[in-house]
Amino acid sequence: MSVLIIIDQAPYGNWSGREALDMALSLAAFDQPVSLLFVGAGINWLRKQQNPAPIQQKGVNRNLAGATVFGIEELLADQDALQRYGLGAEDLLDGVAITHYDQDLLANYLHVVCQ
Amino acid sequence: MMTLHILNKSPEHPRFRLCLEAVGDADQLLLIENAVLALSVEGIKLPGRIMALASDLDARGVSVDGSVDAIHYDGMVALAAAADRVISW
Repeated sequence: MSVLIIIDQAPYGNWSGREALDMALSLAAFDQPVSLLFVGAGINWLRKQQNPAPIQQKGVNRNLAGATVFGIEELLADQDALQRYGLGAEDLLDGVAITHYDQDLLANYLHVVCQ
Repeated sequence: MMTLHILNKSPEHPRFRLCLEAVGDADQLLLIENAVLALSVEGIKLPGRIMALASDLDARGVSVDGSVDAIHYDGMVALAAAADRVISW
């Protein structure tokens, strides 16, 4: 019953990513194996340096920092998206695994949700 | 594992390409809602046998030739039932 939740939209611009994260945390709370994959503009969730206080929002990086503690198995970052946004491993939160978005990756998961 | 990919995004939506990249040789792709518009766009290569929901085609005035299977809701349910996994994009 492994679940992969794909976040492909940038943080702060709309709420869909937060809903995806809530879904992941809920699944994890019920001991379902769930991982998060960030592709496209969604890769920007993983930046270490975020300070959304001026726009009255909580840093998504702080939500994600606790993700593995709450049982989310993996935080996955798509290589192409990293390149596109000029990000390297050192710019990302700790514990993020860099991978490549393709059919083989998706084949590892029984349920795939793209939010 | 056979996956049915159900796509409802228009060709410009970033998830349209994300979906196409995910469709494997053994998989099936069903275009519904705005995705059927892709059938009137030159140069979009869709993987495998193209299936689209007839009601969405009619709603949007998209006419298709024989290369497209226009199916109805019962067909959509049958596809989903036959698939090992269904992903809605």
